[in-house]
Amino acid sequence: MSGVELKNVVKTFGDIEVIHGVDLTVEDGEFCVFVGPSGCGKSTLMRLVAGLESITDGTIRIGERDVTKLDPALRGVAMVFQTYALYPHMTVEENMSFGLRMNGVPKDEIRRKVSEASRILKLDDYLKRKPKALSGGQRQRVAIGRTIVRGPEVFLFDEPLSNLDAELRVEMRVEIARLHKELGATMIYVTHDQVEAMTLADKIVVLRDGRIEQIGKPLDLYNDPDNRFVAGFIGSPSMNFLAADVRTGAIQSPALDQRLDLPSGKPADGTRLEVGIRPEHLSIDADGSYFRIDLIERLGGVSYVYLTGQQGERVIVEEGGSSRLQEHDHVGLAFNAADLRFFDADSGSRIR
Amino acid sequence: MAVYGWSGKRLGQKSSAALLLTPFVVAYLAFLVIPFLNGIWISLHNWNLMAVAFDPNAKEFVGLRNYERILWGKNIVWSPAASPLVQWSAAFVLLSTLLLTAFGKISRGTAVLVGSIALILFVACGFHPGAGGRWYDRRFWPTVGNTILFVALTVPSITIISLSLAVLVNRESRAMAVFRTIFFLSQVLSVTVVTLIWQLLFSPRQGLIANVITLFGGSPIHWLTDERFAMAAIVITTVWWSLGIAMILFLAGLQDISRDIYEAAALDNAKGWRAFRHITLPNLKRTITLVVVLQIILHFQVFGQSHLMTGGGPNDSTQTLVRYIYQTGFRDSELGRATTMAVFLFVIMGAFSLVQFLLGREDKD
Repeated sequence: MSGVELKNVVKTFGDIEVIHGVDLTVEDGEFCVFVGPSGCGKSTLMRLVAGLESITDGTIRIGERDVTKLDPALRGVAMVFQTYALYPHMTVEENMSFGLRMNGVPKDEIRRKVSEASRILKLDDYLKRKPKALSGGQRQRVAIGRTIVRGPEVFLFDEPLSNLDAELRVEMRVEIARLHKELGATMIYVTHDQVEAMTLADKIVVLRDGRIEQIGKPLDLYNDPDNRFVAGFIGSPSMNFLAADVRTGAIQSPALDQRLDLPSGKPADGTRLEVGIRPEHLSIDADGSYFRIDLIERLGGVSYVYLTGQQGERVIVEEGGSSRLQEHDHVGLAFNAADLRFFDADSGSRIR
Repeated sequence: MAVYGWSGKRLGQKSSAALLLTPFVVAYLAFLVIPFLNGIWISLHNWNLMAVAFDPNAKEFVGLRNYERILWGKNIVWSPAASPLVQWSAAFVLLSTLLLTAFGKISRGTAVLVGSIALILFVACGFHPGAGGRWYDRRFWPTVGNTILFVALTVPSITIISLSLAVLVNRESRAMAVFRTIFFLSQVLSVTVVTLIWQLLFSPRQGLIANVITLFGGSPIHWLTDERFAMAAIVITTVWWSLGIAMILFLAGLQDISRDIYEAAALDNAKGWRAFRHITLPNLKRTITLVVVLQIILHFQVFGQSHLMTGGGPNDSTQTLVRYIYQTGFRDSELGRATTMAVFLFVIMGAFSLVQFLLGREDKD
């Protein structure tokens, strides 16, 4: 087992630079999730670690070894693909043992490892089947089994759940978390789904346009985002943002209906800000009238109230499941000033 | 949804299908089925082309006599060592097939295909005239042998070379697109052009090949007039001519294999030759079967190359079945015998089509 270290990693396709000098350390045994919108370079970054793409500049180390120029098969990594990439002409058993056979592992050992993996993943009944005779979830498990038997230093998962239906996705998510506990191996996991990121990760790496926006533990990113992008990306429903100005030493926002004290960063007068607050930190003030209720989604335990302000601001408020609010009511917002996060409207960076 | 009959000025599914199929069915019957049945009918007669053209009653019904006169002879006996080389190789192939099948190393379809070819060769090559006996038609079986030899040389060559080319040009770059076009180009030429090109190349005096050989101090080969090289010359020409379509089929097959699988294989330590052996080949099985069977059917009908380049010679060494049929029918006017041979050819090709059909069905399971 070993960690992964990326130093100033750059990747260009032709003239287009898609990864701009990424520095990152994944500790030994850590579950690290790359998350970001599509096209942010998260899959490319993982493929660089796997060696499926050649690196343009920088170095990659796995454990003690510099693997920057090493062949994928020699890096000690195994990968689960989004499409599973099972070998269609081989049975489940052959799929799982292929890598071992190619590496000249003795037959007894192959049999032992395959049967152990199939036991862990409950694939015993399907060993003689071919991939096309399996369901999506079973194929997924075979793909995972193929990586387990290899006993790699680092597991790579490239959006492994995005081809599954919602129910199975939750099930497999739990399975992968359990697997990580059981194997204790270093895992890197790519997803665009921030729920997967939040639930699985020890460490989340948020990427945008080939740059790291923030690295941290899930709840740190949630509570203490470095910038507007991370604040908006992590959390579902996402954080509300309201325009505000710094005027005469205080923050003024028409939607929030009150003067707010400046954060300790003391932005100058005239700075345009965005004030962020999460839906669960807001509540409805029935006496106010700035917002109109567009829609209420009642999920049972909670209700999401969709509001539109007089200047077109859109806000989501999380209310209790038994809320008596009606659509088209006019209401205001109530909140605790400590839950507000301030961002520079131009640069998007956090003002603390 | 409402279904309209004639009254609604719309056709139902069945009647429109029938209407759209009619032109094809009429053409198919008129130009394929009826002539084919007519051919079988002619093969049962002693039918001289010229005589019957002038007097429709000049034909004589002879039953299966034509078949006997072509396929059989006087005092024909069978022995397992009539042509030892072919028969024993066939027996060896047959035994290996049985063994491999028993150990589950090859699929049932492949076993049946290879096994039956070997069996037929073993049995067929065992017949020979006994003491004082002779074949009624001394040229027929050697001609069949030439045709089989031609197919046996061309089909594997085309398959292997076109597969290699397909693997090499299966890349997304402009240069590869140019190569794909170049390799396909020979396919669009007609047989007359192709044979002309190769007659020039093979020419012992001014041909390119002769020049190259002379350059290295060898003496030029008389490709088309030397019994040892004439068949090779025709095979080379045919391979060059037919690579294109096989390559295109292989390219289509290759592009069906997803890139992910190769990446997974790269992580599993299978790249280059090993990826080809363990990933590409097994996934191309259907395409390979298709290409092989199509080529077999196509090349059993070889005519132009031998007719235009060697005239079947020297000493009948490149005489092929279709050319023999053509000569018997239209030079010697022996239409009855010619159609008999054509029926024989049909049976061979029909058998391969059937194999293709059966293998295709097996793969679907």
